[in-house]
Amino acid sequence: MIPKFLTSGPSRRTFLKTAGAAAASLGFPRMTLAAGEPIKIGFLAPLTGAVAAWGKPGLDGCAIWAERVNAAGGIQLADGAHPIEFVSYDNEYDPAKARTGATKLIREDGVKFIMMLGGDTWPGVQPVAERTGMLFSTLLPSDLSPETTTLVAPAEVHPIYNVTGVEWLAQNKPDLKTAVMCAQDDALGLPSVATYLAAFEAAGIEMLEEPLLFDPATTDFAPVVTRLMAKNPEIICLDTCYSDYVHPICEQLFQQGFSGQIISCTADFYDQMIEKTSQEFMEGFIFQFPDFDDPALNSDAINFQDPNGFYAEYNARHPGQWGAVSWEYASIMDMWKAAAEKAGSAEPDAVMTAMKDGRGGHAFGEADWWGKDLFGIDNALVGDWPVVAIENGKAVIKEFRSIPDWYNRHGDLLVKHMEAYGQMWNQRG
Amino acid sequence: MVELLAQTGLNAVYAASYISLVAVGLVLIFGVMGVVNFAHGELFMAGAYAVVALYADMHVPFFVAVAIGMAFVGLLGLLMEWALFRPLKDNPLGGLVASIGFLMILQSLAVMGFGVRMEHIPPVTQEVVRFTEKVGLPVARLYVIVAAVVFLSALWYFLKRTRFGWALRASAQDPEAAALQGISITQTARIAMFIGAALAGVAGALTAPLVSVNPHMGHSVIVTAFIVIIVGGVGSLEGAILASIAYAFVHTFVTTFWDGVLADIVGLSLMLIVLIVKPTGLFGSADRA
Repeated sequence: MIPKFLTSGPSRRTFLKTAGAAAASLGFPRMTLAAGEPIKIGFLAPLTGAVAAWGKPGLDGCAIWAERVNAAGGIQLADGAHPIEFVSYDNEYDPAKARTGATKLIREDGVKFIMMLGGDTWPGVQPVAERTGMLFSTLLPSDLSPETTTLVAPAEVHPIYNVTGVEWLAQNKPDLKTAVMCAQDDALGLPSVATYLAAFEAAGIEMLEEPLLFDPATTDFAPVVTRLMAKNPEIICLDTCYSDYVHPICEQLFQQGFSGQIISCTADFYDQMIEKTSQEFMEGFIFQFPDFDDPALNSDAINFQDPNGFYAEYNARHPGQWGAVSWEYASIMDMWKAAAEKAGSAEPDAVMTAMKDGRGGHAFGEADWWGKDLFGIDNALVGDWPVVAIENGKAVIKEFRSIPDWYNRHGDLLVKHMEAYGQMWNQRG
Repeated sequence: MVELLAQTGLNAVYAASYISLVAVGLVLIFGVMGVVNFAHGELFMAGAYAVVALYADMHVPFFVAVAIGMAFVGLLGLLMEWALFRPLKDNPLGGLVASIGFLMILQSLAVMGFGVRMEHIPPVTQEVVRFTEKVGLPVARLYVIVAAVVFLSALWYFLKRTRFGWALRASAQDPEAAALQGISITQTARIAMFIGAALAGVAGALTAPLVSVNPHMGHSVIVTAFIVIIVGGVGSLEGAILASIAYAFVHTFVTTFWDGVLADIVGLSLMLIVLIVKPTGLFGSADRA
């Protein structure tokens, strides 16, 4: 006779998870910290390879963050003050290497928290997270799912914040009524395509044709741009293209004579784009990532510590290297530090509990834990996000707009397009 | 629609130009030495970084930088022949494996020397040759087309009309018979490696201001080059040129009128069909070269 608990009790998945967690607790013993001993934080992101631009600048930003925090006495826990030490592992944006890195950081380095870029590397790490209960963060909330309760997306809700740029554009340049879009066919590009489609539909802007997807290995963008311009759109949307694509696409748009509006998620190293095109061509380019010397970031509502000073220090150490992720991992560390000090402990479960107790202090203001509709779990921190435009050759924050407000009005459109592109949490493989 | 077709045609001519420069070099090396040079994409990358170092960083005039880059990559080819391929010439897989190792060394050197991020190269010129309001050819792209015509014509003349060229072709057709006629196989291998590498180098150098230069940029180039030489016929220079043109036109037109991802699928399908119908490629024979 089969024991009843095997037929009607815990499911096989629950049983395996419980057994795994038990095994993990034996295999990954908790390390207690002596007073003054450094707390190690894992940085598991691409530091080399094609996606390194969204990893390495973040590590550089974290180094500045750690120096500042340690110079101010470190992190104050129940057992005293501790300095912070980052331990990095280059996952080369490869899921298998990410998994090896996560295991190494937990088992050998004894880190208390691991920050990731996420995306294609998250599926490699997910089993490690589930097995160990380690607290992870991702820059890409599309990694979130109810399967992993210890993964949070506290810095950005990519790609949902892109709706703010489109909404601002529709309100400030109402004459622009038609658009086309291109994107690389990958885990970053597709959810962003769905988001922009929802934003354009909500704004009453007509898509002249289906988004043009290209292979991430593409190097010659002339055919892509010729196609984009074929229907004389008023707006060309570059989705969440990597800077390796945004630059040659913009150069081609310039050379093929486009004179309309460009909107993009990022515009890293826009000064180089201006040099390759012209200041007039780039004027009014809309994107979502400000320079941190922007006076608008000195508002009391901003939670990022000394953004102007951080920007100056970053540029002094890494001239011309400031990009979208330079500040994001550091902003996650601000949140983690606040939560750890609130909990009086750096242990992942204690920090997680403290972090999700009430509203969160997002870089751009107070924000709510959100995401059940799209990600199946409320582990994304969402609030206001800046809309940035290039004016006279410089990025300028035009406005902070509320993502939750947009979602409350148009969430059904976002869900519709996410489903169409197979990007809902329960559709992802 | 006519303007769209014309612009797409110009885009395809540019793509065919740089692809053929890379593919012909790869074919030449294989034809003479019998080595599949997996590091050929990284030789393209080395040419691009030469322009980064000389033109973007040291402000050397662009065409001087291109010429130095071409010579530098040619010398890299000589180094590969001397250090890798010659000692391993009796090992059928040795050259291939060694070229993969050299590929990684070049990538690592690029990362160490220049970092992982794409390099910014100021535009050489922003001039565009305008045919109509919507049809134009940027002059920087025209340079690549002209270079492909000049260098491939020169190579054709060299192979068909000079004693060194005859020696090269003889070595490719039957190395033992060529050696019995007094042709130095080592010397012809050196020449083939220098020319093949230099062609990849000049392609990388000339296209550097038009693409994102990064340590991994050789990957997509070598994949395309392999597709082209398989379609054209491994060892056939004429096949490589014609297959480059065919591939570039098919890929560019499919990207423009349908989808970039579909264009890759069509390109690979083209290769599979050729492999099934004519396994030696369109212009290949059962023997190499």
